[in-house]
Amino acid sequence: MKRNNLNNHFLGNKNIHFSKVLIKVILSAIFFVSMPANAFSQTPLYQKCLLCHGRPGFKKILPDGKVLELYVNKTELEHSIHSNLHCTDCHADVMEIPHIKTPGKVNCYRCHYKDNPNGAKPANDFFQSTHGKLVLEGNPKAPLCQNCHGGHNVQKVNSPLSTVNHQNVAYTCGKCHKQQYDNYILSIHGTALLDRHIESAPTCTTCHGKHLILPPDNPESTTYPLNVINICSKCHENKELIRKYNIPGGRVSTYKESYHGVADEFGSVRVANCASCHRAHLILPQNDPRSSINRANLAKTCGRCHPNANVNFTKGKIHVNYKSKSTGILYYIGMFFEILTVSTLTLLFIHILLDLFRRYRSGEINKRKHGE
Amino acid sequence: MNDGYRAAKEKFVEELEKQTIDSLSIQNDIELSEKTKQLIRNEAVKELDLFLDTKIKKVKKVIKKQLKLKIKQEKKKKWLENSFQRFNIYFRIQHMMLFTSVIILIITGLPIKFPNSVVSKFMMTIMGGIYTQGILHRIGASLLIGFYVFHTLYTIFNKEGRRDFLQLLPRLKDVQDVLQMVKYFFGFAKEKPKFDRFSYIEKFDYWAVYWGGIVMVGSGLIMWFHNIALRYFPKYVYDIAREAHSDEALLATLTIVIWHFYNVHFNPSRFPGSLVWWHGRLTKEQMIEEHPLEYERLMKEKEGKND
Repeated sequence: MKRNNLNNHFLGNKNIHFSKVLIKVILSAIFFVSMPANAFSQTPLYQKCLLCHGRPGFKKILPDGKVLELYVNKTELEHSIHSNLHCTDCHADVMEIPHIKTPGKVNCYRCHYKDNPNGAKPANDFFQSTHGKLVLEGNPKAPLCQNCHGGHNVQKVNSPLSTVNHQNVAYTCGKCHKQQYDNYILSIHGTALLDRHIESAPTCTTCHGKHLILPPDNPESTTYPLNVINICSKCHENKELIRKYNIPGGRVSTYKESYHGVADEFGSVRVANCASCHRAHLILPQNDPRSSINRANLAKTCGRCHPNANVNFTKGKIHVNYKSKSTGILYYIGMFFEILTVSTLTLLFIHILLDLFRRYRSGEINKRKHGE
Repeated sequence: MNDGYRAAKEKFVEELEKQTIDSLSIQNDIELSEKTKQLIRNEAVKELDLFLDTKIKKVKKVIKKQLKLKIKQEKKKKWLENSFQRFNIYFRIQHMMLFTSVIILIITGLPIKFPNSVVSKFMMTIMGGIYTQGILHRIGASLLIGFYVFHTLYTIFNKEGRRDFLQLLPRLKDVQDVLQMVKYFFGFAKEKPKFDRFSYIEKFDYWAVYWGGIVMVGSGLIMWFHNIALRYFPKYVYDIAREAHSDEALLATLTIVIWHFYNVHFNPSRFPGSLVWWHGRLTKEQMIEEHPLEYERLMKEKEGKND
């Protein structure tokens, strides 16, 4: 009790140097006094560290006033995929107890390197991603492996407990990308996955990729304007998914027929892609009044590129299937031209063939051949 | 001595002149042989010297050049006398404007109609992407619109334009000509139909361009100025314009490449093409063969004038 008081007293004090030393003295005292004789030989490998780090509320106040949680949940650790590792396998710079130097960030590449005989898979492309580049630049806010995958609670990706599980990854990304997360959970994709638990519904990583996440202005990025259509068509051109969840079909094919789609095909970055109208994160069905493609909002959405867009933009289908009868007059105009083209060209072609036939019969062609 | 010398020189020069004229074979051309003599006397033999041969060669060169020019002029004169003007300069300029713009429009437009084809992608790369393609297509479109404006003005204000327009109007004889042509193709008739100034084939081409112009320019302008058009028309009008533009483009392209090219380039009596589009004239034989009624009429008019 007295020790705790002292501890708290000094932790609260701004005189850091003195408190630091004192804490270490106290901690080492606790460590040696409370340690059973057989602690090193029989308990799990991380038992030693948990003597201090296993106590709830074990924390440190940083010079700038922030609280650094140093508590490690033992149950979490025991159930993680790394339960058979020693603390110092990851915290390799901790050489002694108590450790005087603040341990550095854990480097997962110690084990997760290419061709590791134990099979720890590496994420080779991480450092090409925008996150990885920021890490290499030394940005302290840039996420490392453990920021997404979890530290002591790291799980296999397909485990429901994993922070990067399909269900949980949006929350994990949202810890930094707050606005995008807020939009996503309101969107049809977000509600489908998080509220209705439809596993096929996309989450952040479905579109942005996993390790190789790049900003949308990078041509390599999956969300680069020219690549957006490929991502969306993974599901929206998937006949099985369309049938199973009753998604409107033919969205991608009709887009490709439109001028937007043609210009996209030829590499125009300026032209509208799926996300330009449907938005990237707050994607909502047409009948939702918040949706960017709701009839009431459509003029505004079109107006982002087409100046002075008015209500005329909403009169007529946007995803026009020229070959479907449901487009009405368009279908009949297409048919009219088809009949006109076929009949005209057939007649002209017959005329040409008859002309050639007559020329051949009257010997004109043979005469020319023999130079008469 | 002087007299003897002069006589000898005169004789020599005359000999020289005769030789030169013979070698150029212009004995019958009085004008040129006079000129040759003059040149030899004035230029070559002012003083008899060592370079006489070179000087004579120079004279020959000058005369040869003039001879060539004269022959060319005579040929042209003969050609103008024996041929008939079919298309005047305005008409030919219109045709050139039309085919230039149509070629530009086909090359820049078809990749948009078939975006997935490899050829389209190649063409688009050559053109420098969809942005420059759009500019080129609009340049072609401007030229085409210019052509239509020019042609309308020509039809209204030019005498020959008005005459041609009236003659291009379809009439009953065209139907009879088609039937006669079919009979001729199958051997039931021995003679081709006799055409006036414009055959039904040419009339078809003319009115096809009329129809195509209305469809293509109308729908094209809606798409060019879509932001203005959509202020007044609903979106499905734009869709209709796009569909019509795309379909009519294909129809026009195929008609030109198959029908027009056969009639003016690939059929055995024309291959590989004539230069009528350039000089606008037909020979007498071509007139009798292709436009006998017009020929007869022109001859009558000529006779009437001579009387």
